[in-house]
Amino acid sequence: MLSSIRDLEATPGTVPREDGWDAVQTAVQRYVRSRSGRHDIADDIAQETVARLVELGRMQQIGSIFALAFRIADNLLTDMHRRERRLSDEVDDEWQSEEPSMDRVLDSRRAVDVFNRCLRRMPPLRREVLIRRRLNQESCRSIGEDLAISAKAVEKHITRGMIDLRKALELAGVDLVGHD
Amino acid sequence: MGSEFHDIDWQAARWIDRMSRPVQDAEMAAEFDRWILKDPRHVEAYARLSAIWQSEGLHCALKGSGETLVAANEPVASNDDDCRPGHAWRQVFASRRAGLGVAVMALVLAMVLAPRLMVEEAAFATPRGATRIVALSDGSTIRMNGATRIAVRITPWSRHVALEAGEAFFDVAHERLRGFSVDTGGASVSVLGTAFDVDRLDDDTHVVQVYRGLVSVDAGAGRQWRLPAGSGLEVSGERVRSLRGVTGQRPGWTKGWYEANDTPVLQLVQRLNRTSARPVVLSDPALGELLVTGRFQTDRPADVLDAIAAIHDLRWREKGGRYVLSR
Repeated sequence: MLSSIRDLEATPGTVPREDGWDAVQTAVQRYVRSRSGRHDIADDIAQETVARLVELGRMQQIGSIFALAFRIADNLLTDMHRRERRLSDEVDDEWQSEEPSMDRVLDSRRAVDVFNRCLRRMPPLRREVLIRRRLNQESCRSIGEDLAISAKAVEKHITRGMIDLRKALELAGVDLVGHD
Repeated sequence: MGSEFHDIDWQAARWIDRMSRPVQDAEMAAEFDRWILKDPRHVEAYARLSAIWQSEGLHCALKGSGETLVAANEPVASNDDDCRPGHAWRQVFASRRAGLGVAVMALVLAMVLAPRLMVEEAAFATPRGATRIVALSDGSTIRMNGATRIAVRITPWSRHVALEAGEAFFDVAHERLRGFSVDTGGASVSVLGTAFDVDRLDDDTHVVQVYRGLVSVDAGAGRQWRLPAGSGLEVSGERVRSLRGVTGQRPGWTKGWYEANDTPVLQLVQRLNRTSARPVVLSDPALGELLVTGRFQTDRPADVLDAIAAIHDLRWREKGGRYVLSR
């Protein structure tokens, strides 16, 4: 399924099956299932991710292997969604994937409404922190300086904000597919 | 859902924030890897929160709540309409085809991952009247105009330039996994593989012109634009002006020319001040608001001043090592 991605150099057979990589591959499978709700593509993406990690690891030292692995998997998921969209534009306007996609759930009007309500209800300071961090990609330190609070407090607002959003989805019954 | 799950979600939320910071030390990276390996539920919680945190839905909701604060200055050139009501995920994906929203997110994560040893950092500056070409290790080139300062930071997973002053033309080598961004203090430009000019006229006014490819400009407060080749944008505080007719392979200044198109005299003078050996000043700030159109040879300041003087019936003289333009 991933074979049409360009720049794909390693083929599945060439991935070294050392113990460490197995653990990474398992974690990425799990990550993709929970991240996207797509069980059908988790194996493919995990395999491709490990192939790329091996390649990168040969050329340079890697800080956090899992953080990099999850980021590569995110990119592959995006590529896949893009390709599927193109395909569905050609085939059928009302096309639906057989598997639910978490991204589709979270981009839906309903999810946006839940986020909106949750953001409106939270303290304005926390909302401001979330906008600056997620939308404007400002650092915790610069947010703290602007809003006259400590970087630690900024971190707490972000963490709390994420939990608020997660709870709001749950309470609204928006199904976060991918629970095992 | 027991309290143990609850704890895991809190930990995951903290990790998502930490892993999206620009600098990560090796110790924190190792700690994250240990946390992930410790319990399969950690991966799941991290993945679910990542999905929420990175979703277009959250982006739109935050944008919406941010806009209520800045609704008064709706930008004229905005084409970031992913979040208008009625735009379902179909459009969201359509816009992702450009890959820019994702590239921005990836960039943030990317910077996280680079251990310090592998980070290349360098600063370059040009004096007034001199230009310089900087070749980066990734194959990209930066042409710096006079009186320009840049700081470059390249990691195995990100490429970032801070334009601290002046103007530079970027010819970016395309890379699939690694984005390229330019920060001008007020606006930030993210690209894939492309050629564009960024001009930081002063702290407030930033001009971006695209010669090849597609760039995304983020001016903060949720103001984002996507500029294809041939277009440009001038962001001045709250005001935004879209520019057309960006032609040729690269900007005129790289060949000593400046193309003014209903450009305020002040802007022309600011540009002249990068190339002129002597600074140009206005005797009256109001002169800066006069508009000029035409092709000016900026490496010959006296000729440019003659032309401005002729257009608006002004005069100029040398005084105390400076050129003074007056009525």
